[in-house]
Amino acid sequence: MVVGEFTTEVDVLVLGAGPGGYVAAIRAAQLGKKVMVVEKAEVGGVCLNRGCIPSKALISAAHRYEEMNHSDDMGLTADGVKVDFSKVQAWKQTVVGKLTGGVGSLLKGNGVELVQGEALFVTPNEVRVYQGNEFNRYKFNHCIIATGSRPIELRAFPFGKRIISSTEALSLPEIPKSMVVIGGGYIGIELGQMYAKFGCQVTVIEGTEQILPLFENEIVRWVQRRLKKDGVTVHTKAKAVSAEQTDTGVTLKYEINGEQKEITADYLLVTVGRVPNTDELGLDQVGIKKNERGLIEVDHQCKTNVENVYAIGDVTAGPALAHKASYEGKVAAEVIAGHNSAVDYKCIPSVVFSDPEIASVGLSETEAKEQGHTVATGKFNYAANGRALSLNANEGFVKVVADKESGIVLGCQIVGPGAPDLIAEMGLAIEMGASLEDIALTIHAHPTLGEMVMEATENALGQGVHTLTK
Amino acid sequence: AKRALATPAIRRLARELGVDIQTVKGTGAGGRVTEEDVRSAVASQVS
Ligand SMILES: Cc1cc2nc3c(=O)[nH]c(=O)nc-3n(C[C@H](O)[C@H](O)[C@H](O)COP(=O)(O)OP(=O)(O)OC[C@H]3O[C@@H](n4cnc5c(N)ncnc54)[C@H](O)[C@@H]3O)c2cc1C
Repeated sequence: MVVGEFTTEVDVLVLGAGPGGYVAAIRAAQLGKKVMVVEKAEVGGVCLNRGCIPSKALISAAHRYEEMNHSDDMGLTADGVKVDFSKVQAWKQTVVGKLTGGVGSLLKGNGVELVQGEALFVTPNEVRVYQGNEFNRYKFNHCIIATGSRPIELRAFPFGKRIISSTEALSLPEIPKSMVVIGGGYIGIELGQMYAKFGCQVTVIEGTEQILPLFENEIVRWVQRRLKKDGVTVHTKAKAVSAEQTDTGVTLKYEINGEQKEITADYLLVTVGRVPNTDELGLDQVGIKKNERGLIEVDHQCKTNVENVYAIGDVTAGPALAHKASYEGKVAAEVIAGHNSAVDYKCIPSVVFSDPEIASVGLSETEAKEQGHTVATGKFNYAANGRALSLNANEGFVKVVADKESGIVLGCQIVGPGAPDLIAEMGLAIEMGASLEDIALTIHAHPTLGEMVMEATENALGQGVHTLTK
Repeated sequence: AKRALATPAIRRLARELGVDIQTVKGTGAGGRVTEEDVRSAVASQVS
């Protein structure tokens, strides 16, 4: 075969098999399209291979380990609890394997063809897919760009043996003795706290005033308290300056309150954000518009400025979250199939698998006021919930935010165990336009953590039973 | 502008039927746009 001569024609070509790409591909196939997905690495993308899934697996192992060692309150003591980290890693890898295998079968089962290789646009209707130096051509009627994002690499901290990104941090062969994390966003906090629970000495360097800057201080305080207990040192308003790596460790110079400081650790984990994978796709060649941050510009139907080319997920603006990518994937596929679909959500939940866990959806109290609402809020503490106490989980709260006049729910913030699952109810409530009363009048099973959602709404209405309001 | 109060399925229905939900007067509780409201908006557009 002459290289580059072989041309295939498809209806829908999807670039990238992450949560955006594979969902788009499956939805398009359901709607009767001939679909092909191009993936240069593993099916499942960042989320399944180097993101959500492996990070949550390691976090649960760390939790389990902590509980094995610290359940004496309940009369349970254990001696000589050991961690075999290579087994932890192997288990995590089987979880990843099951899920990526599942995605592979779903693609196949839906008749989606998978092509291994790296895609590059040559014309608005054709890409080359490279495997090494060889390439094939693929013509398409519609294309969905879902090539995701990668960790930002700072010039002063080039990734190497000891300066690592989240990807390497998820696959360390052993628990490091010490680790410095630059960036107190959710990825840095999740991974830092996980290693701390396994006994690693962790220090977080965050530039702004607060770690987890997207969440309110009244929430983050709970996590900070816990981080302290886990032995994590947090430096806020601190600026990482330079680092020197050797074969065995790394020394970081940083500035805090105008003072120069220095810290040495086994690893320096840099989690300061992500950049979209839009720089090596040949987008300029075909005139697909990006903004100054490299994000592809799309309309409410995920259409780019080039006819028949769509973009979804981390390559577009908005929160870089798996569920946002998948939602957009469905919209793009449906629009291609001729449906009048559009990106039309009222809220996207965001969760942090810190200890305690955090979840938030819709507007915070401050945001609701900024948008001109007269606000009613209601709070309920884990410490007053029977199920929470029976789980020995009494740290945290549920807070609901509503428009006072109409009673319509605008937002909810939860900090405490189970928050990522509890928030789903309030996402639905906001989408449905539910009022505080709608939730308060819904019977929640007892004893469950979910009752706190109901009771927080009752408190917002001034009729809470398990809270003294005076 | 305030967004119309309607469930995700009603919002989708309106889009599919080519109705701008923001222009539909809701007759449901608290001004919620119902399926009926959307369908009668279509009918009045056609006639
Ligand atoms: C440590 C970590 C933890 C996270 N935890 C969470 C979480 O708990 N919840 C959550 O919602 N999100 C989480 N995220 C974010 C989430 O992983 C992303 O938002 C999500 O994966 C984006 O999906 P996507 O489909 O846009 O792109 P990606 O998942 O990035 O997939 C893009 C795919 O495209 C491929 N690709 C790139 N360029 C090309 C090319 N030229 N040709 C062919 N293929 C190409 C890539 O190999 C990749 O497989 C986490 C991320 C990280 C790093």
